[in-house]
Amino acid sequence: MALSREIYEALEAIVGKRNISEDPGVLETYRCAAAQSSAHYGPYAHRTPTPQAVLMPGSTQEVQGILRICNKYKLKYKASTTFWSSHGYIGDDYAIQIDMRRMGKFEIDPKNMIMTVEPNVIAATAQAEAMKYGLTCNIPGVGCSSSMVANVSGWGGPGPSSIYMGAATENLLCAEWVFPNGDILVSGSAGSGAGWFSDEGPGPAQRALIRGGTGTRGEMGICTRISFKLSPWPGPAYLPTEGPVPAYRAKLPDNFKAYALCFPDWDRWAQAMMMLCDSEIVYIGHRQFSMFGRDIKAAMLEILVDPDKQLCDIPTLNKDPRVQKTNKSLKIDMYVVIAGMTPEDMEWKEEALDKILEIYGGWKDERCLEPDMEEWLKTYFIRLGHKNLNYTLCGSYEGHFGLKGSNLIYSASICEDAFALKKEGEKKGTFMAAVGGDASMGGLSTMGGGGGSMMWEFFAHFDAYEKESVSGLCNFITNVSSKYQSDNKLGHDFCRSTELCRKKDGYSYSDEELYNIFRDRPQPAPYIYQWKIREAFNPNHLGGSYYPVLDPKAQKK
Amino acid sequence: MALSDYKPMMERCSNCSFCKWIPFDKMKSVRFAANCPSSTYYGFNTYSARGRFQMGLAVVNKELEYTDKMAEITRECLACGACDVSCKVCRYNLEPLDHNIELKSDALKAGKISPVQKKMMDSLKKEQTMIAGKKKVDRAKWADGLSVKDIFKDKAEVLFFPGCQYSYDKKLQPIARDAVKLLQKSGADVGIMGTADACCAGRAYQMGFFDEYTDRAEKNIKAIKTAGVKLVVTPCSDCYHAFKRLYPQLGFNVEVLHVVEYIDRLISEGKLKFKKKLDMTVTYHDPCHLGRQGEPYVAWSGNEKKILNQIHTWEPRRPRYNGSHGIYDAPRNILKAIPGIKLEEMERIREYSWCCGAGGGCSEISPEFSDWTATERIEEARATGANTLVTACPWCKNNFLGATGNNGNGIKVLDIIELVLMAI
Repeated sequence: MALSREIYEALEAIVGKRNISEDPGVLETYRCAAAQSSAHYGPYAHRTPTPQAVLMPGSTQEVQGILRICNKYKLKYKASTTFWSSHGYIGDDYAIQIDMRRMGKFEIDPKNMIMTVEPNVIAATAQAEAMKYGLTCNIPGVGCSSSMVANVSGWGGPGPSSIYMGAATENLLCAEWVFPNGDILVSGSAGSGAGWFSDEGPGPAQRALIRGGTGTRGEMGICTRISFKLSPWPGPAYLPTEGPVPAYRAKLPDNFKAYALCFPDWDRWAQAMMMLCDSEIVYIGHRQFSMFGRDIKAAMLEILVDPDKQLCDIPTLNKDPRVQKTNKSLKIDMYVVIAGMTPEDMEWKEEALDKILEIYGGWKDERCLEPDMEEWLKTYFIRLGHKNLNYTLCGSYEGHFGLKGSNLIYSASICEDAFALKKEGEKKGTFMAAVGGDASMGGLSTMGGGGGSMMWEFFAHFDAYEKESVSGLCNFITNVSSKYQSDNKLGHDFCRSTELCRKKDGYSYSDEELYNIFRDRPQPAPYIYQWKIREAFNPNHLGGSYYPVLDPKAQKK
Repeated sequence: MALSDYKPMMERCSNCSFCKWIPFDKMKSVRFAANCPSSTYYGFNTYSARGRFQMGLAVVNKELEYTDKMAEITRECLACGACDVSCKVCRYNLEPLDHNIELKSDALKAGKISPVQKKMMDSLKKEQTMIAGKKKVDRAKWADGLSVKDIFKDKAEVLFFPGCQYSYDKKLQPIARDAVKLLQKSGADVGIMGTADACCAGRAYQMGFFDEYTDRAEKNIKAIKTAGVKLVVTPCSDCYHAFKRLYPQLGFNVEVLHVVEYIDRLISEGKLKFKKKLDMTVTYHDPCHLGRQGEPYVAWSGNEKKILNQIHTWEPRRPRYNGSHGIYDAPRNILKAIPGIKLEEMERIREYSWCCGAGGGCSEISPEFSDWTATERIEEARATGANTLVTACPWCKNNFLGATGNNGNGIKVLDIIELVLMAI
């Protein structure tokens, strides 16, 4: 069903001719190969539906006007800014895509350590602006190319710096929210005109509506402006990078150090991680480069710090004794950035770190202490600007297993079993990259102020456009990794979260299909609560199926 | 190559949108964080490299035929290559710039040619220049009164190749003449092509007119080979790119230097010394085709090969043009060598420089967009506090001046050769 001229012209009147299009070529570029986000969305040809039109609003008032028209005509919509992964795209045929690119204003209140942003302020630019005031922000694990509004209001938003700065869920202050029905609510202290400093008032509190663990995932209206907490940045006013692309290296003062911490076994690794969390010495903590795979991570590090090396150099590099030594050293690792607020603070943190290594028999990897690597690591973790490396091997990856938020001690004790299963899978077929089993990564503690948890995600690199690669990986996840998770009572597999967002064919679930999924959940209460929220604020159900709901009438008795 | 040859790249673009931004590690502000003028000006994803990949895929899969809008979008890429650099911070098997140009060509093959493009190509064929309205008979007038060899009449080791802008623009002609004198004074055995001089046709390539480019390039290569010169020196970054990166694909194997490289050599060898002090605060604009696209051509022929089951590589090893070996230091060395000059860098420099807006024929095809692009750069230059914006390409200079009604909006716009001539 194409948009009637009446609707199109009404939308055009709001955003202007220049900012709306229904040209087939333009619409095509607002689709996504769903399997690139998750193999479960395959086969490879499945793409998200073609929108009826694409609009770029320039203000909150324009967003409001669009949503009122959508409600009037029962037209579905989805707003996104950076469009990385299928999450940002529509899931229905009769729907429009709203591109928030034109809204990119921001303000910083340095004294109160608050930043207010519109959607097109991405994490990198937010951090760059904050650094001018000796401040920085948590950059979510997805990387600094992501919209701060999307992450802080709509999704989970933990990242390597969450151990010090808190995750998105902890950092949201106020929000300007265009309800799905077109009404506007400014929440928290900003809602009473008192400033953008508090999410719980004085003014309307909407934390339980708009946030929670993962947020509304872009399904419940559109956030057009938010404020969030900033954190101290004891460094220069900008990231002083040097060197040739892509191996940019930050020449930071001595109060910043990056280390690859290594341990002889997972038990001691886990104990050390717990102590790192407790000691509060870590500015950024992430198990990162294992995502490439245990067998190739040292080779990949060499490739990434040399502008002339390429993926085809992996086999040659792996024969290099120096690379082999690094690979062996980095087998059970964790990368940290330590930042000293004063020289004394730095000295204490360094000493504490050394003591923790001593207690648990750990070491600092030697290669990662060399200036070219150490400076590159600092750049990588502080800005988190290389996260598309997730896709670099094959064009797609699936984050599976995923011992989400799990206790470090327990997850570390079983991870080698999981790695062995993956390695076996790599040998049994060619559907995923054979990188040595362990391709796991995750942030150390996903909560500010510590907490001995880790957001594990095990990578499986696959080619979304190779039929056998997609189907092979789906089978592996269903029959091996998810089975392992359920057999060991580890909860649902990480990638199953995305599976619950839209169907294999890239389309949204119907209400009935959603209810069928969530009625079997052992704790259905949150979904019933969210159903009530949806009915109150989104009576025409104009979002897709990313917001998990369960009609109480459909509940299992 | 054909558009369909890019299908694996189209499919493996991961929609990350890195192609819309300068490399994140280099960001210093919201204001100057974008890298792609086309997607910044027009807004829709379609105008970015990822959008172009998606559009190309739909065409290759025969799901879409070019609409007029799609053809227009293919043309509104400056071919500046900023997307290419940012993409390759992480990706090792995508070539966004090559694809963007191939997409332009494919739209042309589908018959989607604009009147402005046609006019430019007619001019290239008939008058051997892409500056429509200029005549072949006037091309050599820039050298009137200049005592210099004609490489076809008198043997010379060095060919000075001025390019279309220096040949036809009356304001630039004296600079070209002085540049030749500078080369002569340094002891170079310089000659010019005289009446055989013609457009390098690099812009035709950037616009996707591959046949027209090849036809003109082969004629130029034949002429230069016949003359037997050992070195080509050009003050134009577009010509430099054509000679350095494109012509070798057609068998051209003569050494090529941009004039900034030549002057830098003279300075380092002690053959050029600056006598005058210039009390100026300047900022330097890296031309796309001298900077990130100024890397030398490396011959390659091969195929995709998956290793370790699914990792995409090429066999044999494919050259990786990511801007890391472009010409950035030579012009800065010159500026540093001139007494009294203070260089203040803009936020977007070197391989992640913002385009002047003249690339890909856009100054003719989409003047409003082109002017906006130039104005953005001038704003960035002004933000440094510099009073002079220096560049090393006549297309850049003229686009900056054109966008500001020739007054530079309070900032002086100079070619680096002008600065050199002022200081000696």
